[in-house]
Amino acid sequence: MHLVLAEIIQRSFLVKFDMAFIHSITSIAHQDTFAKKNIWDTISILDETSSLVHPDYKEYIAPAALRRLSPILRMAIAASNYCQATCNSPFGAISVGTALGCLTDTEKFLKTIHTTSGSILSPTAFIQSTHNTIAGQISLELKNHAYNMTHTQNSLSFELALQDALLCVNAGKSNVLAGAADEAIDFLNRLNDSLIHAPVAFTSGATFLVVDQKSSPIELLAVDLNFSATNYKDSISKFLNQNGVLFTEMDAVFVANNADFSPQENVVNYINYTGFYHTASAFGMHMAHDWLLMEDKKYALIVNNLVANKLGLILLKKTDK
Amino acid sequence: MSTKIYITGYGAIAALGNNVAEIKASLFAEKTGIRQGEKPYSEKYKVGEIRFSNAELIERFDLKNDASRTALLGMVAAKEAFENHVLHPDIRTGLISGTSVGGMDVSEKEYLKFLNGEVDNKEVYRNHPSGTTTQQIAASLGIDAYFNTISTACSSATNAIMMGARLIQSGQLDRVIVGGTDGLSQFTIAGFNSLMIFDEEWCRPFDESRKGLNLGEGAGFIVLEGENSLSKTAKTPLALVSGWSNACDAYHQTASSPDGSGAVLSMTEALSVAGLQASQIDYVNAHGTATPNNDLSESHALIRVFGEQVPPFSSTKSYTGHTLAASGGIEAIISILSIQEGILFPNLNFSTSIAETNLTPIQTVTKAPVKHVLSNAFGFGGNNSTLIFSKI
Repeated sequence: MHLVLAEIIQRSFLVKFDMAFIHSITSIAHQDTFAKKNIWDTISILDETSSLVHPDYKEYIAPAALRRLSPILRMAIAASNYCQATCNSPFGAISVGTALGCLTDTEKFLKTIHTTSGSILSPTAFIQSTHNTIAGQISLELKNHAYNMTHTQNSLSFELALQDALLCVNAGKSNVLAGAADEAIDFLNRLNDSLIHAPVAFTSGATFLVVDQKSSPIELLAVDLNFSATNYKDSISKFLNQNGVLFTEMDAVFVANNADFSPQENVVNYINYTGFYHTASAFGMHMAHDWLLMEDKKYALIVNNLVANKLGLILLKKTDK
Repeated sequence: MSTKIYITGYGAIAALGNNVAEIKASLFAEKTGIRQGEKPYSEKYKVGEIRFSNAELIERFDLKNDASRTALLGMVAAKEAFENHVLHPDIRTGLISGTSVGGMDVSEKEYLKFLNGEVDNKEVYRNHPSGTTTQQIAASLGIDAYFNTISTACSSATNAIMMGARLIQSGQLDRVIVGGTDGLSQFTIAGFNSLMIFDEEWCRPFDESRKGLNLGEGAGFIVLEGENSLSKTAKTPLALVSGWSNACDAYHQTASSPDGSGAVLSMTEALSVAGLQASQIDYVNAHGTATPNNDLSESHALIRVFGEQVPPFSSTKSYTGHTLAASGGIEAIISILSIQEGILFPNLNFSTSIAETNLTPIQTVTKAPVKHVLSNAFGFGGNNSTLIFSKI
């Protein structure tokens, strides 16, 4: 037993701080979830024909910019502008996770290279193809000069960005924007089972939130990453144990894959609500956050078990505020 | 209590050489690695191209077959950096790599087949995601406790080094291999061509006549350890990472602000983290891409931070070409060499100062006591970062 625990301690990557609270959270997804008081009022299990539910971007993005921005950039900018509007001061840091980045512009530029004769190429798609265009455009739109970081580690990209946001909060930064965005392009469907196995349709989504030391109704207790998880149950027990709670105390557990859990457990599969993209756990966190806002709830756990052996854990708690 | 951040290993591959020793020799010989390209998509340009094909890299360095150029170059450099280290259960060891295009060099070839209606090998796309390149590099060293990929364009490796330092200071990791890697791809070359910022001749950083950059490729990684780890590994540190900062220019997606606002913020905060006065910096390894915009903006920023006493500076991109996400890793190693050797490495191809700012970089290998080096990296998206390296 001792050896097993030592193994878990060695392999898990826990970030826990005294106090960090969620101040604003919003998503643009295949559900009507943008700028909602509680997304449980509108969300339901997706069917295969779902499509992205866009807000009215004109409210958040100038027309000239809107024309050149791809879906992932529109989603991220609108969501972060919404978050900024709920804060009384500029973001003290911006930390974004994306697994595959700006695929629309990447594909557009690849096509341009291969189909344009001569050497005159339009640079717009290239400029907007790099992963950091998301965080960069957010800063540019908001004229924000703070720390600006882009994490891209496949299915754990969001948790890494969130963990960085916690490091920033711990270092005294206030109103730290954390978030994730990924977009689907048709070409991905050809790669199902080669690039990744997606049991449901590839979708697009963006979730952004603000983390701060100031109190709010929902506390972000801890984020844990495990890059070589073998026994998920042990990893989860250890994580909860370190945070002084038990699995049975969870009012709900939001997971990417039910296979690791028994049917009796209070498990909600967030992929069923948002479709398949690598950073969907950010949407799972939004679901958990709003779930806790309802009466008689205290703890929610988000388990990112989208990809084998790669485990992300996020623990939320309702405060008395 | 925050620990000091010790550097206890380095490894690199670039057009200048296949390892740190070869790179050092080229730096001392004032011999650039930039030459006429040899690939169908690079032959029109001067590039810092590594003359091994992917297959030759695998053969020569005994690497994993089935990986992109970015991952292969990263494996070569990370392996050299970690050469005299061993993994140990009591030393939590991670790896953070910066890359801009990940496995594009292999996926773009398959995608072209697809566009042409030919059969593409779908398995190759597995190697495309940037995160996968890092996972493969980590796996090649047996590292599975923590890995992460930073993608902030040309400042990726610099931000990876900063991230590693912060993770050690916050107690999350004991030891971490940090840096960056980017293999040249047709995508990147066509992209920079579309921006019309190539110089057809050898790039001339900080020169009045500069026309643009030469691209390059490569990888550079360093090993960082906190005191806790160092007491166990008993390594002799090469230097310290004493300061770091990341700020956003928030001016334009690709261009730098004329007054270098983001760069000033970044350099100023890095000095503050290091607890140093600007006057204590002995050498600046500039971002210095040799584009008209960057070098003018960075010159203004240097003057704003250092006043009339701008320290000796140079852009070593005149040796390596702009290796994009890898540049911060390779230039970190050049900064460490500068401290170790007490040498300022020159800015090649310079003849006339920029009229507006009148700064003159180091033009020849120069002996000087070097205690603190400031290294800049500025990326698209306004991602400006600065590191400070210090003598032990």
